[in-house]
Amino acid sequence: MTAVSTRVCYTLQPLPVGAVAGTQMSSDSSKKRKPKVIRTDGAAPDGKRSKADAEQDVKYYSEETEVDLRDPGKDYELYKQTCEELQRLMAEIQDLKSKGSKDSAAEIEERRIQSCVHFMTLKKLNRLAHIRLKKGRDQTHEAKQKVDAYHLQLQNLLYEVMHLQKEITKCLEFKSKHEEIELVSVEEFYKEAPPEISKPDITLSDPHHQTLARLDWELEQRKRLAEKYKECLTSKEKILKEIEVKKEYLSSLQPRLNSIMQASLPVQEYLFMPFDQAHKQYETARHLPPPLYVLFVQANAYGQACDKKLSVAIEGSVEEAKALYKPPEDSQDDESDSDAEEEQTTKRRRPTLGVQLDDKRKEMLKRHPLSVTVDLKCKDESVLHLTFYYLMNLNVMTVKTKVTTAVEMTTPISAGDLLSPDSLLNCLYPGDHGKKTPNPANQFQFDKVGILTLNDYVTELGHPYVWVQKLGGLHFPKDQPQHTVTADNSLSASHMEMTMKLLRTRLQSRLALHKQFASLEHGIVPVSSECQQLFPAKVVSRLVKWTAITYEDYLELSYTKDIVEAGLAEDTHLYYMALIERGTAKLQAAVVLNPGYSSMPPVFSLCLTWKGERTNNNDDNIRAMESEVSVFYKELSGPKPGYQLLTNQLQRLCVILDVYLETESHDNSVEGPKEFPQEKMCLRLVRGPSRMKPFKFNHPQGFFSHR
Amino acid sequence: MAPQEMDVQRALELLHMSVFSQSVSPCGKYLAAGNSYGEIGIFSLSAALSAEAKEESKKPVVCFTAHDGPVYALTSTDRQLLSASDGELKAWNWAEIVKKGCKEAWSRRPPYRSSLEVPEINSLQLNLKDNSLLLAGGDCTVHAMDLETGVFTHALRGHTDYIHCLALRDQFHECLSGSEDGSVRHWDLRTGGQVQAIEVHKYEECSRPQYGKWIRCLATDSDWMVCGGGPALTLWHLRSVTPTTVFPLAPAQHHAMFYQDLILCAGQGPTIYHLQLSGDIRARIPCSPPALHSLCLNQRSPEHKVLTAAGSSHKIDVFTNFGYRAFSLAFA
Repeated sequence: MTAVSTRVCYTLQPLPVGAVAGTQMSSDSSKKRKPKVIRTDGAAPDGKRSKADAEQDVKYYSEETEVDLRDPGKDYELYKQTCEELQRLMAEIQDLKSKGSKDSAAEIEERRIQSCVHFMTLKKLNRLAHIRLKKGRDQTHEAKQKVDAYHLQLQNLLYEVMHLQKEITKCLEFKSKHEEIELVSVEEFYKEAPPEISKPDITLSDPHHQTLARLDWELEQRKRLAEKYKECLTSKEKILKEIEVKKEYLSSLQPRLNSIMQASLPVQEYLFMPFDQAHKQYETARHLPPPLYVLFVQANAYGQACDKKLSVAIEGSVEEAKALYKPPEDSQDDESDSDAEEEQTTKRRRPTLGVQLDDKRKEMLKRHPLSVTVDLKCKDESVLHLTFYYLMNLNVMTVKTKVTTAVEMTTPISAGDLLSPDSLLNCLYPGDHGKKTPNPANQFQFDKVGILTLNDYVTELGHPYVWVQKLGGLHFPKDQPQHTVTADNSLSASHMEMTMKLLRTRLQSRLALHKQFASLEHGIVPVSSECQQLFPAKVVSRLVKWTAITYEDYLELSYTKDIVEAGLAEDTHLYYMALIERGTAKLQAAVVLNPGYSSMPPVFSLCLTWKGERTNNNDDNIRAMESEVSVFYKELSGPKPGYQLLTNQLQRLCVILDVYLETESHDNSVEGPKEFPQEKMCLRLVRGPSRMKPFKFNHPQGFFSHR
Repeated sequence: MAPQEMDVQRALELLHMSVFSQSVSPCGKYLAAGNSYGEIGIFSLSAALSAEAKEESKKPVVCFTAHDGPVYALTSTDRQLLSASDGELKAWNWAEIVKKGCKEAWSRRPPYRSSLEVPEINSLQLNLKDNSLLLAGGDCTVHAMDLETGVFTHALRGHTDYIHCLALRDQFHECLSGSEDGSVRHWDLRTGGQVQAIEVHKYEECSRPQYGKWIRCLATDSDWMVCGGGPALTLWHLRSVTPTTVFPLAPAQHHAMFYQDLILCAGQGPTIYHLQLSGDIRARIPCSPPALHSLCLNQRSPEHKVLTAAGSSHKIDVFTNFGYRAFSLAFA
């Protein structure tokens, strides 16, 4: 006990020292110390020893509560003082020890005791601090838990709110099916509906009930209509059955009629009335696609009415056509099928893209199995065979041509292109080359399968001339890229006569040229007796060469530039080169033959090689010679329809070359006789400012004058 | 078919057209041009020269057929346009032409001796001093006509071949004529007699037998004369009758004129030459027709002062600055 009390004393003792060191804080610290002391005292009756073993719980408890009573700031001050005290004591002990005096042992002992007390204080403080920390942690934890709970609650509530709001909007947005039903108007409803449904006393004031009532009325009406529909169906079926019966009767009639027809055939033959044949043709014609049908009908009509030498026939397999057109939906199915097939093929044959494109192209350029042939006979029994095809997928018509002549003709080399199916019908109408597709929609189709122009396929398919489309009643306006094209009879009819006449003229003019070329190649310019008066009896210049040249060759000639620039030479025209000679003078004539010959004149460009090269560029007289044949061609046309124009032009060229050479002024300073003595009778040798030579021949008198 | 045929026909005609003559209207705003098909085209210079000139304004305002033969010569009095063709002289009132009505005012035929062939009139020359007109051509005679009465007063005979060109020396009451026979003759208009004849082809300096002896162009200025054609273009002193300068131009020249201290001339070949009196070539101006038949300088209207050149083409070149071709008028 004494030990304890002394310890307490000790603990108390240093305090004033600390207070002294701590200066102002002394009074506070003393106050604090007191309760602690008291408490220790309070615990003291139980004994400090007992604290060590028996009374630990109580002590712990007291310390717990003590924590609440003490001010942590003051404890901190105490802690500082204690530490200082300890430091001081330690320093003193060290001093004493270093002095090494004997009496110092006691003093050291005393100081040790004091420092032990201080250690106790420190320990106590440490404990207190731990307890405080623990308490603080507990409190924080508790508070946190509470907050979490509240937060959770809040979340739940929010969610609930949201859900409720959604429900509300769902309810608000709800659409009843009845809104889609078209009801009769309110007035009508009250007028027509029986009062037991309309119940005007209730519904007039309550829109909800009103709607219900209207719906009831609607249901009522619909039921009635459904009944009516059923009735109609049954009557329809009845009628269908009747039709079937009648059809059966009709089909039984057909064989009978056939047998009658068969029986009548000999009679028809006997009477020269080919009704049956025509009938058969009409039968086949039914399977023609619309444009060919229009063409067939119109050509037939025109042939019967105006042109007995025109014959029309249908060629090709009717079976295939039938297969193509059997039920009208088939075509659609076909398309979808082919689409599906195409898809399959793309999957299957991806590596061979080229083959697949080729197939697509073939499909696109497919012709209708039936074709219409029109044979135009001319007076001399030569025939122009025209075969018209219809390209189903492109919706254009094409034509192939062939000429058979009455007499076998030897083909002159230069006449190669004259009757060739490629160029025979070129520009039948101005600008109609038959190389581009007239249907603007086709270009888009071509783009898909990689066809650049139809031109590459023209030899195989035939030419899609615009007039062919018109004969088939197809009209493609230029400004509209896509539109439905239907075969129009009136369009076809309006073009039939003109086109047939043009075709015949074209054939005849080509045949005439064909014949003329044969003799031209032998250097003979055929002049018919009717045209004899256009030329003098004696013509010395001779045609020595007549050859066909290509467009490119023509362009390269130096003296054709003006003609090309004037747009009179296009690649669809035919080009020839004539060489006329007299003595040392050679006259080259490049000839452009317009496909529209002979209504369009051939155009001549001249180049005279005689004492230098003379063309229209350096000699006005050469220019005049050109105009003499190219511009004043009308007087050379000969008897109608003017097929002798070309030969007459050539003959005139020979004549005026004579005139040119004979009237060329002689240079007296040069020795020797004139190469070309003047044999032609001329009134005057030169005339006018441009010193023209007399190129105009006056028939009965036989002299030359100026134009 | 028919329009297409017409197009080709007209295209061919244009291709082979020659424009032989030109004349400017008294107001200086219009140019009349006569072509080889007997058509006279009236071009509006003011429209073609304006800033907003379109392609359309380079086409004739009016184009009418005046003669059966080519229109070889045109000239303008202060009221009328005179056109000459085969044996026929016609007058057209400018006021009416411009308003697009083109009825001839009158027509005259010079008295011809032969009847087998109608001689052409190649040149017209207006003599303002006594209001008369000189015309010459196929009958080798220069006729003088009084414009007041329409009476043919003189016939100056002497040439042995047809006359190409006329030039007037009005201060001396004299005129010059150049002919196919190779001579330039000098006439006194008061007496109707021949003053002298210069046989150009006999002078070695300018004779060119390979081209022939014909005199195609003639121009005069006081005592000086320039003439050319078959013989080389030569400047002559008239009083002494000597060729002073022979110009070194190879092609035959069809038209020559004095302009300030220069001679402008053109002929075979697409070139207009500016010549100095000393004989140097000052400039060669390219133009579009392959051969030129006439040059026309519009001096009647200062704001439309241009040089126009016509020849073997349906185009008439217009030179605003004489150094280069500005644009072309064209028959359509």
